[in-house]
Amino acid sequence: MFDAALTTHQRRLRPDGLLLFALLGLMALGVAFIYSARAAHEASALIAWHKQLHFRQIIWYSLGMIGAVLVCLKDYRTIARWSLVFYWGTTLLLVAVLIPGIGAMRYGARRWIDLGLFQLQPSEFAKLAVILAMAQFLSRPQEELRQPRTLLKAFGLMALPFLLVLKEPDLGSALMIVPPGLAMLYVGGVPTQFLKRFMGGGAIFVLLLVVSILFAPPKWQVIKLEDYQKRRLLVYFGMNYAPANATPAERARALSDQRRDSYNVEQAMISVGSGGLTGKGWRQGTQNALGYLPRGVAHNDFIFSVIAEESGFVGSLFVLALYATVLFAGIRIASQTRDRLGKLLAVGVVTLLFSHVFVNIGMNIRLMPVTGVPLPLLSYGGSSVICSLVAAGLLQNVHLHQKSL
Amino acid sequence: MMLFPQIGRQDPALRFIALALVAGLAVLLVGLWHVQVVSGKRHLEAQQNQSMRTLRVPAVRGQITDRHHQPLAFDRPVYHVNAYLDELRPHFQQEYRRRRTPGKLTRAQVSALEKQVRFNTVSNFVNQLRLPVPMTLTEPQLHWHYTNKLALPLPVVRDLTPAQVAVFMERGGAVPGLDVAVASSRTYPHAAAAHLIGYLKRDDSSSEDEDSFYHYRMPDFVGRTGIELLFDQKLRGRAGTRTMLVNNLGYRQSEHMSTPAGAGHNVVLTLDLAIQRAAEQALATARPDVEGAVVVMDPTNGDILAIASAPTFNPGDFVPRIDSDAWDRLRDPQLRPLILRATQERYPPGSIFKIITGLAALEAGGLNPAEIFSSPGHFQLGRRTIKDTAPAGNYNFRRAFIHSSNTYFIHHALQAGPDRLTEMGERFFLGKSTGLLPGQEVAGQFPDRAKLREGWAPGDTANLSIGQGPVTVTPLQMAVMTSAVVNGGKVWWPRLVDRIESPEADAVNPVEQFPAARLRGDLNVNPKNLDTIRDAMLADVEDPEGTGRRAAVPGMKIGGKTGTAEVQRGGRNVDKITWFVSFAPYENPKYVVVVMIESGSSGGGTCAPVAQKIYRAIQQLERSRSLPSVTQVNR
Repeated sequence: MFDAALTTHQRRLRPDGLLLFALLGLMALGVAFIYSARAAHEASALIAWHKQLHFRQIIWYSLGMIGAVLVCLKDYRTIARWSLVFYWGTTLLLVAVLIPGIGAMRYGARRWIDLGLFQLQPSEFAKLAVILAMAQFLSRPQEELRQPRTLLKAFGLMALPFLLVLKEPDLGSALMIVPPGLAMLYVGGVPTQFLKRFMGGGAIFVLLLVVSILFAPPKWQVIKLEDYQKRRLLVYFGMNYAPANATPAERARALSDQRRDSYNVEQAMISVGSGGLTGKGWRQGTQNALGYLPRGVAHNDFIFSVIAEESGFVGSLFVLALYATVLFAGIRIASQTRDRLGKLLAVGVVTLLFSHVFVNIGMNIRLMPVTGVPLPLLSYGGSSVICSLVAAGLLQNVHLHQKSL
Repeated sequence: MMLFPQIGRQDPALRFIALALVAGLAVLLVGLWHVQVVSGKRHLEAQQNQSMRTLRVPAVRGQITDRHHQPLAFDRPVYHVNAYLDELRPHFQQEYRRRRTPGKLTRAQVSALEKQVRFNTVSNFVNQLRLPVPMTLTEPQLHWHYTNKLALPLPVVRDLTPAQVAVFMERGGAVPGLDVAVASSRTYPHAAAAHLIGYLKRDDSSSEDEDSFYHYRMPDFVGRTGIELLFDQKLRGRAGTRTMLVNNLGYRQSEHMSTPAGAGHNVVLTLDLAIQRAAEQALATARPDVEGAVVVMDPTNGDILAIASAPTFNPGDFVPRIDSDAWDRLRDPQLRPLILRATQERYPPGSIFKIITGLAALEAGGLNPAEIFSSPGHFQLGRRTIKDTAPAGNYNFRRAFIHSSNTYFIHHALQAGPDRLTEMGERFFLGKSTGLLPGQEVAGQFPDRAKLREGWAPGDTANLSIGQGPVTVTPLQMAVMTSAVVNGGKVWWPRLVDRIESPEADAVNPVEQFPAARLRGDLNVNPKNLDTIRDAMLADVEDPEGTGRRAAVPGMKIGGKTGTAEVQRGGRNVDKITWFVSFAPYENPKYVVVVMIESGSSGGGTCAPVAQKIYRAIQQLERSRSLPSVTQVNR
């Protein structure tokens, strides 16, 4: 107050160069390998160039960059004041997508709103909105956070979109809300006891859930998972589909189902592994070209398999390094902020991106069960790309609009 | 690192988050290291296993030729039109989309429609070629191939003539997914020497020196009898391997030949195709439904020039596969066309054995060829009367021989004694196989000395002396015998295979050479006695009284001996085996011809005319071969 000139925020004119560089690197890789993933199939040669997926990815990148720049124009504190608007807006979209007329049903799930040229996936935007809202909510004085009521409100803030996304059904995306939320709670100063209790309770719950799905007869299962979700868990744990008392015919059927379902994971492993140290070369990936890695997923959920097969361990390392750069640039931004909102925002975005990276790459090497979680900027998908870039834009925003002092 | 000092002590929460990130990335790193570097090889193998297919490509089978390199069995190129399903796939999809009725189809309906679409698409394309030959493919065949051998080309039209191939070359470019491919088909020109050559059986298993595992195997054959069997390893060559990359649906993506096939070696026989065909024709026209054999041998070295056996068969029937009717006919228990009667059956020699009887008696010293013997027209042995076709009268050796007098020879055989007789037979290696075709030969029977001691009556000697009783021979053994008599006493191992040649056209030396004129034994008899026999044989043909006069060919001096053996069963005569053994030319014997026909009327009546035809053919052959050819003159 005594130094008006100093208290007004200073705008740093230079964005974080390292972050920008890493993002550009990832975008370049994205175009290159989506091209490779699609080019192998004969039909792709017949599609007009402006309909080709790698070209459309460039469009999404451009739109995302524009969005990121727009986000950087206004101070993040101003934007945060509108957090609840965004939050309720995306919640509305989440409700809308569940309505049969609006949400498009694909592969048994209603996750997208078909807008003609663009498939809007509300869950992606919801993740961002939750982070923004949580950051704003948790940036109140720390003493308030010790009150159970506040805590419950914070959980409620996370829980509402979580449940709505779960209903689509999209367990993977729903679960992606949890780590950023937890990280923000932790960094925000919520007493660790509560967190530990919550996490402990959550862990026990998940364990029970998994055990009941894998072992218990259907009548006893408390939470009903979708059939395909159950199967993914079984595949991950490598367990037989057929219960112990199945007839030989049932067992045979279960075996063939199992083979079919674990096919994607096996092929992904073979793709990743057969890349070896230096990979087979760009567009020389045989797993993809021969169709063993299914066409439908090679360019989005399993894009990492394509990259790993074609560029080997060296390439995988490079991708990890690029993501690490993004993440640690974000951490640095978080450490350099003076205010809690900025730090919370940065931590939320970093954790969000990291969760996606960890779960998706983990899925490709069978560290995690199969989920429909995209790899930020590398997977094909308009909503995912735009949200990832906007999230990165938020990081830059925090970096640019630092309060001096 | 630049980040951590900045986080510092003030912010443990953030540091914790940062560490969590590091840990998470490290886990991913280790995981990737494990999958890509440590297990990389294993995954690469898994990928290759699922996407690579190997195909065994049999080699071109070696030729079997006669001594002048005339082919008796060779692989003829055949042209098939093949459909490549991976190229036709987009057309299948197009047609399916066109045909599909709107609305939901059950799985069974979809499957049936797909099958129909595939077959119709293939038929349409084949029809577009407008070949004069219909498509041989049926819908079940297409479906079987689609299910089991998707990556391989599918033959749709088989065995195109070169003219039809030319038609395809003109029009085929416009039709997708179809191409002409060359395969080979075993061909037997004239079906000559079928029993010697043998036939093939389908067998595509790997030989010892090949890989034992293949995903697919192209049809291959293995010899079952004859030379095809005995030299199968050399003829078959070495199969090649083609590897194909298949996509996840099993369609072929690309292929390359990783090992080319090594063609089989050629086997050159001692046969003379012209003589072989003459022998087969002469035998076939001897009488209706003839069952018999002919052997033509070179007495100077034991080379087989021809072996014919009737009834015969066509080895070409076995390629690509013999149908069950034809197979049933081949296994007719009466006719037995697959049996090589020249070596696989034993027959009583009858009067041709008198050559050995005569030689034994001459060697024993008790027989003077000029001495006159008075024959009553039959031989009385105790209470048994042995009939004689030769009339009663006076006989010297020559006359007895040309009339084939039983009385004369029995008398002198008894005089010489059974020991002498059997010992002489042993010198000709009767009762022992010649080793010409292992597995396709019988040794015949001949009493050995031990048997003589067991219980031997003069009646047995009498029978033996006229080639009946405990003696059976094969026509090949009789050829060896005749050769030994006319070449001065050398008993050869008969030779059928001359050499094995490498498949390369420019190879000079044979891979393996089988020596000619391998001596098995020497008769060690007085040359004068052999002369006596030879002269008598000449007389048998040239003398108007001789039983073999119907073998005479003007311009050629032929000698021979006829024989008619009785086959007895249950004390009765049920059949006759007729023989004619012969040689020519008398001055310098180069050919021995043995004819044996079952159920003939007599040796002179049934077999000698066959020999005559063969000698005529040989005569013509010699004349045409000694004439300089036109090209030689013009050079």
